[in-house]
Amino acid sequence: MHIIKNIQNFLLDQDYYIDIFNNFIHVYDYQELITLTDKLIELKLKEFKLIIEGKELSISNMDNKEILIKGVLDSLRFVR
Amino acid sequence: MKHYVRVRIKTDKKSNILLKLNKISVDIKNIKYEKDYIYFDILNKDIKRVKKYLVSYKLDIIDEIGIYKLKRELRKNMLFIVSVIFAVVVFMILSNVIIKVNIIHQDKDLRELINEDLKEYGVTPMRFKKSYDEYEEIITKIKEKHKDVIEWIEIDVDGMIINVRVEERILNKEKEESGFCHVVASNSGIITHVYTERGVAQVGVNDFVKKGDILISGEVKLYEEVKNDVCAKGEVYAEVWYNVKTSLPMEYELEEKTGKMRYNLMVKKDKEYVIFKSRVKEHQVKNKFLGKIFGYEFYMQKEYEVIKKNKRYTLDEAINKAISLVHEKLLVKESQTPKIIKEKVLKKSVNNDTLDIEIFIAVEEQIGVVEPYTKEMDSDTSDRTNNYNNNPVS
Repeated sequence: MHIIKNIQNFLLDQDYYIDIFNNFIHVYDYQELITLTDKLIELKLKEFKLIIEGKELSISNMDNKEILIKGVLDSLRFVR
Repeated sequence: MKHYVRVRIKTDKKSNILLKLNKISVDIKNIKYEKDYIYFDILNKDIKRVKKYLVSYKLDIIDEIGIYKLKRELRKNMLFIVSVIFAVVVFMILSNVIIKVNIIHQDKDLRELINEDLKEYGVTPMRFKKSYDEYEEIITKIKEKHKDVIEWIEIDVDGMIINVRVEERILNKEKEESGFCHVVASNSGIITHVYTERGVAQVGVNDFVKKGDILISGEVKLYEEVKNDVCAKGEVYAEVWYNVKTSLPMEYELEEKTGKMRYNLMVKKDKEYVIFKSRVKEHQVKNKFLGKIFGYEFYMQKEYEVIKKNKRYTLDEAINKAISLVHEKLLVKESQTPKIIKEKVLKKSVNNDTLDIEIFIAVEEQIGVVEPYTKEMDSDTSDRTNNYNNNPVS
Protein backbone atom coordinates (compact mmCIF):
# COMPACT_ATOMS: atom_id res chain seq x y z
CA MET A 1 0.00 0.00 0.00
CA HIS A 2 2.95 2.34 0.68
CA ILE A 3 4.09 1.98 -2.90
CA ILE A 4 0.71 3.13 -4.21
CA LYS A 5 0.66 6.06 -1.82
CA ASN A 6 4.17 7.07 -2.88
CA ILE A 7 3.27 6.90 -6.56
CA GLN A 8 0.14 8.95 -5.90
CA ASN A 9 2.20 11.54 -4.03
CA PHE A 10 4.69 11.68 -6.85
CA LEU A 11 2.07 12.04 -9.58
CA LEU A 12 -0.30 14.32 -7.72
CA ASP A 13 2.22 16.48 -5.95
CA GLN A 14 0.24 19.67 -6.33
CA ASP A 15 -2.69 21.44 -4.75
CA TYR A 16 -4.92 21.18 -7.76
CA TYR A 17 -4.99 20.56 -11.49
CA ILE A 18 -7.46 21.21 -14.25
CA ASP A 19 -7.60 19.08 -17.41
CA ILE A 20 -9.42 20.57 -20.33
CA PHE A 21 -10.63 18.40 -23.18
CA ASN A 22 -12.83 19.19 -26.14
CA ASN A 23 -16.12 18.55 -24.35
CA PHE A 24 -14.93 17.81 -20.84
CA ILE A 25 -13.20 19.53 -18.01
CA HIS A 26 -11.72 17.61 -15.13
CA VAL A 27 -10.93 19.45 -11.91
CA TYR A 28 -8.90 17.86 -9.16
CA ASP A 29 -8.90 19.05 -5.58
CA TYR A 30 -11.80 21.47 -5.71
CA GLN A 31 -13.42 22.47 -2.45
CA GLU A 32 -17.00 23.26 -3.24
CA LEU A 33 -19.51 23.37 -6.02
CA ILE A 34 -21.02 26.83 -5.76
CA THR A 35 -23.26 27.17 -8.79
CA LEU A 36 -24.62 24.61 -11.16
CA THR A 37 -26.69 25.42 -14.22
CA ASP A 38 -26.48 24.20 -17.81
CA LYS A 39 -24.70 27.43 -18.79
CA LEU A 40 -22.57 28.23 -15.76
CA ILE A 41 -20.68 26.21 -13.20
CA GLU A 42 -18.74 27.80 -10.36
CA LEU A 43 -16.21 25.84 -8.40
CA LYS A 44 -14.36 27.01 -5.32
CA LEU A 45 -10.72 25.98 -5.16
CA LYS A 46 -8.19 26.73 -2.45
CA GLU A 47 -7.05 30.14 -3.67
CA PHE A 48 -9.52 31.14 -6.33
CA LYS A 49 -12.90 30.53 -7.85
CA LEU A 50 -13.18 28.76 -11.22
CA ILE A 51 -16.00 29.93 -13.44
CA ILE A 52 -16.89 27.71 -16.36
CA GLU A 53 -19.24 29.00 -19.01
CA GLY A 54 -20.68 27.08 -21.90
CA LYS A 55 -23.70 25.24 -23.19
CA GLU A 56 -25.42 22.07 -21.97
CA LEU A 57 -23.06 21.80 -19.05
CA SER A 58 -23.60 18.85 -16.78
CA ILE A 59 -21.73 16.85 -14.21
CA SER A 60 -20.72 13.33 -15.22
CA ASN A 61 -18.86 12.18 -12.15
CA MET A 62 -18.34 13.85 -8.82
CA ASP A 63 -16.74 13.06 -5.49
CA ASN A 64 -15.40 15.20 -2.68
CA LYS A 65 -12.08 15.97 -4.46
CA GLU A 66 -12.68 15.54 -8.16
CA ILE A 67 -15.34 16.58 -10.61
CA LEU A 68 -15.85 15.83 -14.29
CA ILE A 69 -17.95 18.33 -16.22
CA LYS A 70 -19.37 17.63 -19.64
CA GLY A 71 -20.63 20.11 -22.16
CA VAL A 72 -19.63 22.69 -24.79
CA LEU A 73 -17.04 24.91 -23.14
CA ASP A 74 -17.03 28.59 -24.07
CA SER A 75 -14.82 30.19 -21.42
CA LEU A 76 -12.89 29.51 -18.26
CA ARG A 77 -12.14 32.20 -15.72
CA PHE A 78 -10.19 32.36 -12.50
CA VAL A 79 -11.50 34.83 -9.93
CA ARG A 80 -9.24 35.60 -7.01
CA MET B 1 -14.20 -3.69 -3.50
CA LYS B 2 -16.57 -0.76 -3.27
CA HIS B 3 -20.24 -1.60 -3.31
CA TYR B 4 -21.93 0.80 -5.71
CA VAL B 5 -25.66 0.86 -6.43
CA ARG B 6 -27.52 2.60 -9.22
CA VAL B 7 -30.16 4.99 -7.94
CA ARG B 8 -32.89 7.08 -9.47
CA ILE B 9 -34.32 10.30 -8.08
CA LYS B 10 -37.42 11.97 -9.45
CA THR B 11 -36.85 15.70 -9.79
CA ASP B 12 -36.99 18.59 -12.22
CA LYS B 13 -34.29 20.49 -10.28
CA LYS B 14 -31.31 18.26 -10.96
CA SER B 15 -28.75 20.96 -10.18
CA ASN B 16 -30.14 21.36 -6.68
CA ILE B 17 -29.72 17.69 -5.96
CA LEU B 18 -26.15 17.67 -7.22
CA LEU B 19 -25.31 20.76 -5.19
CA LYS B 20 -26.79 19.16 -2.09
CA LEU B 21 -24.94 15.92 -2.70
CA ASN B 22 -21.75 17.91 -3.17
CA LYS B 23 -22.31 19.56 0.17
CA ILE B 24 -22.39 16.26 2.01
CA SER B 25 -19.35 15.01 0.04
CA VAL B 26 -20.92 11.98 -1.57
CA ASP B 27 -19.14 10.19 -4.41
CA ILE B 28 -21.39 9.86 -7.42
CA LYS B 29 -20.56 8.41 -10.80
CA ASN B 30 -22.12 7.94 -14.21
CA ILE B 31 -24.64 10.72 -13.81
CA LYS B 32 -27.39 10.51 -16.40
CA TYR B 33 -30.14 13.02 -16.92
CA GLU B 34 -33.61 12.22 -18.14
CA LYS B 35 -36.71 14.36 -18.36
CA ASP B 36 -37.96 13.94 -14.79
CA TYR B 37 -35.23 11.77 -13.37
CA ILE B 38 -31.57 11.84 -12.51
CA TYR B 39 -29.66 8.56 -12.39
CA PHE B 40 -26.27 7.95 -10.79
CA ASP B 41 -24.11 5.33 -9.08
CA ILE B 42 -23.54 5.85 -5.40
CA LEU B 43 -21.82 3.91 -2.64
CA ASN B 44 -24.20 1.64 -0.79
CA LYS B 45 -22.94 2.92 2.55
CA ASP B 46 -23.89 6.51 1.56
CA ILE B 47 -27.51 5.67 0.79
CA LYS B 48 -28.71 6.21 4.35
CA ARG B 49 -26.97 9.56 4.56
CA VAL B 50 -28.39 10.70 1.22
CA LYS B 51 -31.91 9.59 2.17
CA LYS B 52 -31.62 11.51 5.41
CA TYR B 53 -30.42 14.64 3.65
CA LEU B 54 -32.76 14.49 0.65
CA VAL B 55 -35.90 13.93 2.68
CA SER B 56 -38.25 15.48 0.18
CA TYR B 57 -36.99 13.37 -2.75
CA LYS B 58 -37.88 9.83 -3.54
CA LEU B 59 -34.76 7.74 -4.02
CA ASP B 60 -35.09 4.34 -5.72
CA ILE B 61 -32.33 1.76 -5.88
CA ILE B 62 -32.74 0.27 -9.33
CA ASP B 63 -29.70 -1.92 -9.71
CA GLU B 64 -26.38 -3.05 -8.29
CA ILE B 65 -23.03 -2.65 -9.94
CA GLY B 66 -20.17 -5.05 -10.62
CA ILE B 67 -19.67 -8.21 -8.61
CA TYR B 68 -22.65 -7.39 -6.41
CA LYS B 69 -24.91 -7.44 -9.44
CA LEU B 70 -23.49 -10.83 -10.35
CA LYS B 71 -24.01 -12.02 -6.78
CA ARG B 72 -27.63 -10.84 -6.82
CA GLU B 73 -28.26 -12.54 -10.18
CA LEU B 74 -26.73 -15.74 -8.85
CA ARG B 75 -28.89 -15.58 -5.72
CA LYS B 76 -31.98 -14.93 -7.85
CA ASN B 77 -31.29 -17.90 -10.15
CA MET B 78 -29.86 -20.15 -7.45
CA LEU B 79 -32.40 -22.95 -8.03
CA PHE B 80 -31.78 -23.00 -11.76
CA ILE B 81 -28.00 -22.91 -11.38
CA VAL B 82 -28.01 -25.66 -8.74
CA SER B 83 -30.29 -27.75 -10.96
CA VAL B 84 -28.00 -27.32 -13.95
CA ILE B 85 -24.90 -28.17 -11.89
CA PHE B 86 -26.69 -31.18 -10.39
CA ALA B 87 -27.81 -32.33 -13.85
CA VAL B 88 -24.28 -31.96 -15.22
CA VAL B 89 -22.82 -33.88 -12.26
CA VAL B 90 -25.43 -36.63 -12.62
CA PHE B 91 -24.81 -36.76 -16.35
CA MET B 92 -21.05 -36.99 -15.79
CA ILE B 93 -21.52 -39.76 -13.24
CA LEU B 94 -24.03 -41.69 -15.31
CA SER B 95 -22.01 -41.42 -18.49
CA ASN B 96 -19.16 -43.07 -16.62
CA VAL B 97 -21.27 -45.86 -15.19
CA ILE B 98 -21.74 -49.27 -16.75
CA ILE B 99 -25.40 -50.19 -17.08
CA LYS B 100 -25.05 -53.44 -18.98
CA VAL B 101 -22.34 -55.98 -19.74
CA ASN B 102 -22.98 -57.94 -22.92
CA ILE B 103 -20.90 -61.06 -23.33
CA ILE B 104 -21.24 -62.07 -26.94
CA HIS B 105 -20.89 -65.81 -27.37
CA GLN B 106 -23.27 -68.67 -28.01
CA ASP B 107 -22.01 -70.89 -25.20
CA LYS B 108 -23.84 -70.11 -21.96
CA ASP B 109 -21.13 -71.73 -19.80
CA LEU B 110 -18.42 -69.65 -21.41
CA ARG B 111 -20.52 -66.51 -20.95
CA GLU B 112 -20.93 -67.31 -17.25
CA LEU B 113 -17.23 -68.02 -16.89
CA ILE B 114 -16.30 -64.66 -18.41
CA ASN B 115 -19.00 -62.92 -16.38
CA GLU B 116 -17.55 -64.29 -13.13
CA ASP B 117 -14.10 -63.05 -14.07
CA LEU B 118 -15.42 -59.63 -15.06
CA LYS B 119 -17.23 -59.41 -11.71
CA GLU B 120 -13.99 -60.21 -9.96
CA TYR B 121 -12.25 -57.35 -11.80
CA GLY B 122 -15.14 -54.94 -11.14
CA VAL B 123 -16.68 -54.86 -14.62
CA THR B 124 -20.32 -55.17 -13.59
CA PRO B 125 -23.43 -53.05 -14.03
CA MET B 126 -23.71 -49.96 -11.81
CA ARG B 127 -19.94 -49.68 -11.42
CA PHE B 128 -17.72 -47.01 -12.93
CA LYS B 129 -16.13 -47.62 -16.29
CA LYS B 130 -12.42 -48.31 -16.42
CA SER B 131 -9.69 -46.86 -18.56
CA TYR B 132 -8.41 -48.43 -21.76
CA ASP B 133 -5.24 -49.62 -20.02
CA GLU B 134 -7.23 -51.24 -17.22
CA TYR B 135 -9.39 -53.11 -19.76
CA GLU B 136 -6.23 -54.26 -21.54
CA GLU B 137 -4.90 -55.54 -18.23
CA ILE B 138 -8.17 -57.37 -17.50
CA ILE B 139 -8.09 -58.96 -20.97
CA THR B 140 -4.54 -60.18 -20.38
CA LYS B 141 -5.46 -61.61 -16.98
CA ILE B 142 -8.56 -63.42 -18.28
CA LYS B 143 -6.64 -64.82 -21.25
CA GLU B 144 -3.88 -65.99 -18.93
CA LYS B 145 -6.37 -67.59 -16.55
CA HIS B 146 -8.33 -69.46 -19.21
CA LYS B 147 -5.73 -70.03 -21.87
CA ASP B 148 -7.19 -73.44 -22.72
CA VAL B 149 -10.70 -72.06 -23.14
CA ILE B 150 -10.32 -68.61 -24.66
CA GLU B 151 -8.67 -67.94 -27.98
CA TRP B 152 -9.36 -64.22 -28.15
CA ILE B 153 -11.26 -61.67 -26.10
CA GLU B 154 -12.10 -58.03 -26.73
CA ILE B 155 -13.76 -55.44 -24.49
CA ASP B 156 -15.59 -52.75 -26.39
CA VAL B 157 -17.08 -49.75 -24.58
CA ASP B 158 -20.23 -48.58 -26.32
CA GLY B 159 -21.53 -45.66 -24.26
CA MET B 160 -22.81 -47.11 -21.03
CA ILE B 161 -22.75 -50.67 -22.35
CA ILE B 162 -19.72 -52.93 -22.27
CA ASN B 163 -19.61 -55.46 -25.10
CA VAL B 164 -17.28 -58.37 -24.48
CA ARG B 165 -16.56 -60.45 -27.56
CA VAL B 166 -15.06 -63.86 -26.93
CA GLU B 167 -13.71 -66.48 -29.27
CA GLU B 168 -13.54 -69.96 -27.85
CA ARG B 169 -10.37 -72.00 -28.25
CA ILE B 170 -11.21 -75.15 -30.15
CA LEU B 171 -8.91 -77.97 -29.21
CA ASN B 172 -9.02 -81.32 -30.89
CA LYS B 173 -11.20 -82.90 -28.28
CA GLU B 174 -11.29 -86.58 -27.72
CA LYS B 175 -14.49 -88.03 -28.92
CA GLU B 176 -17.06 -87.36 -26.28
CA GLU B 177 -18.99 -90.42 -27.12
CA SER B 178 -16.59 -92.98 -25.75
CA GLY B 179 -19.54 -95.11 -24.56
CA PHE B 180 -22.18 -96.82 -26.62
CA CYS B 181 -25.89 -96.35 -26.25
CA HIS B 182 -29.32 -97.14 -27.60
CA VAL B 183 -32.34 -94.91 -27.76
CA VAL B 184 -35.09 -96.77 -25.90
CA ALA B 185 -38.78 -96.06 -25.32
CA SER B 186 -39.69 -94.27 -22.13
CA ASN B 187 -43.39 -95.08 -22.65
CA SER B 188 -45.54 -97.53 -24.54
CA GLY B 189 -47.25 -96.20 -27.64
CA ILE B 190 -47.64 -96.16 -31.42
CA ILE B 191 -44.76 -94.58 -33.33
CA THR B 192 -45.66 -91.48 -35.34
CA HIS B 193 -42.27 -90.07 -36.33
CA VAL B 194 -38.66 -91.32 -36.21
CA TYR B 195 -35.72 -88.94 -36.67
CA THR B 196 -32.39 -90.80 -36.59
CA GLU B 197 -29.19 -88.81 -36.27
CA ARG B 198 -26.85 -91.68 -35.38
CA GLY B 199 -27.42 -95.40 -35.10
CA VAL B 200 -29.89 -97.74 -36.79
CA ALA B 201 -33.66 -97.20 -36.45
CA GLN B 202 -35.33 -100.35 -35.17
CA VAL B 203 -38.92 -99.17 -35.46
CA GLY B 204 -41.09 -97.59 -38.10
CA VAL B 205 -44.19 -95.40 -38.17
CA ASN B 206 -47.34 -97.10 -36.79
CA ASP B 207 -45.26 -99.75 -34.89
CA PHE B 208 -46.44 -100.41 -31.38
CA VAL B 209 -43.63 -100.25 -28.84
CA LYS B 210 -43.50 -101.02 -25.14
CA LYS B 211 -41.61 -99.14 -22.52
CA GLY B 212 -37.91 -100.14 -22.70
CA ASP B 213 -37.95 -101.28 -26.33
CA ILE B 214 -34.93 -100.27 -28.41
CA LEU B 215 -36.01 -97.61 -30.87
CA ILE B 216 -32.63 -96.64 -32.36
CA SER B 217 -29.83 -99.14 -31.91
CA GLY B 218 -26.22 -98.19 -31.28
CA GLU B 219 -25.06 -101.37 -33.02
CA VAL B 220 -24.34 -101.03 -36.71
CA LYS B 221 -24.79 -104.44 -38.28
CA LEU B 222 -24.01 -105.94 -41.64
CA TYR B 223 -25.56 -109.35 -42.33
CA GLU B 224 -26.47 -109.85 -38.67
CA GLU B 225 -22.87 -109.19 -37.63
CA VAL B 226 -22.11 -106.16 -35.44
CA LYS B 227 -19.60 -104.08 -37.36
CA ASN B 228 -19.50 -100.99 -35.20
CA ASP B 229 -20.92 -99.59 -31.97
CA VAL B 230 -21.98 -95.95 -31.63
CA CYS B 231 -23.97 -93.88 -29.22
CA ALA B 232 -27.34 -93.74 -30.93
CA LYS B 233 -28.99 -90.36 -31.21
CA GLY B 234 -32.36 -89.27 -32.48
CA GLU B 235 -35.93 -88.42 -31.64
CA VAL B 236 -38.83 -90.81 -31.73
CA TYR B 237 -42.38 -89.55 -31.40
CA ALA B 238 -45.25 -91.81 -30.48
CA GLU B 239 -48.91 -91.65 -29.60
CA VAL B 240 -49.06 -92.35 -25.88
CA TRP B 241 -52.16 -92.89 -23.77
CA TYR B 242 -52.79 -91.73 -20.26
CA ASN B 243 -55.58 -92.48 -17.84
CA VAL B 244 -55.70 -89.57 -15.44
CA LYS B 245 -57.76 -89.45 -12.26
CA THR B 246 -58.31 -86.16 -10.54
CA SER B 247 -60.59 -84.49 -8.00
CA LEU B 248 -61.91 -80.96 -7.93
CA PRO B 249 -63.93 -79.21 -5.20
CA MET B 250 -67.23 -77.90 -6.55
CA GLU B 251 -66.90 -74.71 -4.51
CA TYR B 252 -64.20 -72.16 -5.17
CA GLU B 253 -63.20 -68.70 -4.09
CA LEU B 254 -63.35 -65.85 -6.58
CA GLU B 255 -61.78 -62.43 -6.16
CA GLU B 256 -63.79 -59.57 -7.60
CA LYS B 257 -62.45 -56.04 -8.04
CA THR B 258 -64.44 -53.35 -6.24
CA GLY B 259 -63.15 -50.59 -8.52
CA LYS B 260 -61.14 -48.95 -5.74
CA MET B 261 -57.47 -48.47 -6.59
CA ARG B 262 -54.57 -46.96 -4.66
CA TYR B 263 -50.99 -46.21 -5.71
CA ASN B 264 -47.94 -47.45 -3.83
CA LEU B 265 -44.23 -47.68 -4.39
CA MET B 266 -42.19 -50.85 -4.34
CA VAL B 267 -38.42 -51.35 -4.30
CA LYS B 268 -36.97 -54.67 -5.29
CA LYS B 269 -33.52 -56.00 -4.83
CA ASP B 270 -33.35 -59.50 -3.41
CA LYS B 271 -36.72 -59.03 -1.75
CA GLU B 272 -39.66 -56.79 -2.48
CA TYR B 273 -40.16 -53.83 -0.15
CA VAL B 274 -43.42 -51.87 -0.27
CA ILE B 275 -42.67 -48.29 0.78
CA PHE B 276 -46.05 -47.17 2.07
CA LYS B 277 -48.56 -49.06 4.15
CA SER B 278 -51.29 -50.49 1.97
CA ARG B 279 -54.53 -48.55 2.20
CA VAL B 280 -56.75 -51.36 0.93
CA LYS B 281 -57.21 -54.63 2.82
CA GLU B 282 -57.51 -57.35 0.21
CA HIS B 283 -55.94 -56.38 -3.08
CA GLN B 284 -54.45 -57.50 -6.33
CA VAL B 285 -51.27 -55.78 -7.40
CA LYS B 286 -50.11 -54.58 -10.78
CA ASN B 287 -46.51 -53.34 -11.01
CA LYS B 288 -45.13 -50.80 -13.44
CA PHE B 289 -41.34 -50.64 -13.73
CA LEU B 290 -40.00 -47.12 -13.18
CA GLY B 291 -36.25 -47.58 -13.29
CA LYS B 292 -33.18 -49.17 -11.83
CA ILE B 293 -30.67 -47.29 -9.70
CA PHE B 294 -27.61 -48.97 -8.17
CA GLY B 295 -29.17 -52.42 -8.44
CA TYR B 296 -32.48 -51.36 -6.88
CA GLU B 297 -35.52 -51.71 -9.12
CA PHE B 298 -38.28 -49.20 -8.52
CA TYR B 299 -41.87 -50.04 -9.34
CA MET B 300 -45.10 -48.10 -9.12
CA GLN B 301 -47.75 -50.38 -7.70
CA LYS B 302 -51.43 -50.20 -8.43
CA GLU B 303 -53.37 -51.90 -5.64
CA TYR B 304 -56.83 -52.93 -6.79
CA GLU B 305 -59.14 -53.69 -3.91
CA VAL B 306 -60.87 -57.06 -4.20
CA ILE B 307 -63.55 -58.92 -2.27
CA LYS B 308 -63.57 -62.67 -2.04
CA LYS B 309 -66.73 -64.50 -2.96
CA ASN B 310 -67.52 -68.20 -2.69
CA LYS B 311 -68.83 -69.60 -5.97
CA ARG B 312 -69.93 -73.00 -7.13
CA TYR B 313 -69.13 -74.73 -10.41
CA THR B 314 -71.85 -76.25 -12.50
CA LEU B 315 -71.08 -79.84 -13.48
CA ASP B 316 -69.97 -78.86 -17.01
CA GLU B 317 -67.78 -76.04 -15.67
CA ALA B 318 -66.21 -78.42 -13.14
CA ILE B 319 -65.44 -81.01 -15.88
CA ASN B 320 -63.89 -78.34 -18.13
CA LYS B 321 -61.83 -77.01 -15.22
CA ALA B 322 -60.64 -80.52 -14.33
CA ILE B 323 -59.64 -81.17 -17.95
CA SER B 324 -57.72 -77.90 -18.12
CA LEU B 325 -55.95 -78.81 -14.85
CA VAL B 326 -54.96 -82.17 -16.35
CA HIS B 327 -53.60 -80.36 -19.43
CA GLU B 328 -51.54 -78.10 -17.21
CA LYS B 329 -50.17 -81.10 -15.28
CA LEU B 330 -49.22 -82.83 -18.52
CA LEU B 331 -47.47 -79.73 -19.80
CA VAL B 332 -45.50 -79.42 -16.58
CA LYS B 333 -44.61 -83.11 -16.53
CA GLU B 334 -43.28 -83.31 -20.07
CA SER B 335 -40.13 -81.50 -21.07
CA GLN B 336 -41.43 -81.19 -24.63
CA THR B 337 -44.84 -79.78 -25.23
CA PRO B 338 -47.03 -82.80 -25.99
CA LYS B 339 -49.63 -82.56 -28.68
CA ILE B 340 -53.03 -83.71 -27.43
CA ILE B 341 -54.59 -85.92 -30.05
CA LYS B 342 -57.79 -86.92 -28.29
CA GLU B 343 -59.35 -87.01 -24.85
CA LYS B 344 -62.43 -88.54 -23.30
CA VAL B 345 -64.05 -88.45 -19.89
CA LEU B 346 -64.30 -92.07 -18.75
CA LYS B 347 -65.93 -91.65 -15.33
CA LYS B 348 -67.33 -88.77 -13.36
CA SER B 349 -69.07 -88.59 -9.99
CA VAL B 350 -69.75 -85.94 -7.36
CA ASN B 351 -69.06 -87.09 -3.78
CA ASN B 352 -68.98 -84.83 -0.74
CA ASP B 353 -69.12 -81.72 -2.92
CA THR B 354 -66.06 -82.93 -4.86
CA LEU B 355 -65.94 -83.96 -8.49
CA ASP B 356 -63.99 -87.20 -9.06
CA ILE B 357 -63.15 -87.62 -12.69
CA GLU B 358 -61.20 -90.10 -14.82
CA ILE B 359 -60.01 -88.89 -18.21
CA PHE B 360 -58.41 -90.75 -21.10
CA ILE B 361 -55.91 -88.65 -23.04
CA ALA B 362 -53.92 -89.59 -26.13
CA VAL B 363 -50.92 -87.38 -26.80
CA GLU B 364 -48.06 -87.34 -29.25
CA GLU B 365 -44.76 -87.01 -27.43
CA GLN B 366 -41.08 -87.77 -27.72
CA ILE B 367 -40.48 -91.12 -26.07
CA GLY B 368 -36.86 -91.83 -27.03
CA VAL B 369 -34.35 -91.77 -24.15
CA VAL B 370 -30.67 -92.59 -24.35
CA GLU B 371 -29.58 -95.69 -22.46
CA PRO B 372 -25.91 -96.69 -22.47
CA TYR B 373 -24.67 -100.25 -22.81
CA THR B 374 -21.23 -101.72 -22.34
CA LYS B 375 -19.03 -103.36 -24.94
CA GLU B 376 -18.59 -106.53 -22.85
CA MET B 377 -22.12 -107.44 -23.80
CA ASP B 378 -21.16 -106.99 -27.41
CA SER B 379 -20.63 -110.72 -27.88
CA ASP B 380 -24.20 -111.39 -26.90
CA THR B 381 -26.07 -108.62 -28.59
CA SER B 382 -29.14 -110.63 -29.38
CA ASP B 383 -29.62 -111.54 -25.70
CA ARG B 384 -29.34 -107.94 -24.66
CA THR B 385 -31.78 -106.85 -27.31
CA ASN B 386 -34.18 -109.48 -26.05
CA ASN B 387 -33.69 -108.22 -22.52
CA TYR B 388 -34.77 -104.78 -23.57
CA ASN B 389 -37.71 -106.11 -25.45
CA ASN B 390 -38.82 -108.34 -22.60
CA ASN B 391 -38.72 -105.65 -19.95
CA PRO B 392 -42.00 -105.72 -18.05
CA VAL B 393 -44.05 -102.62 -18.76
CA SER B 394 -45.07 -100.80 -15.65
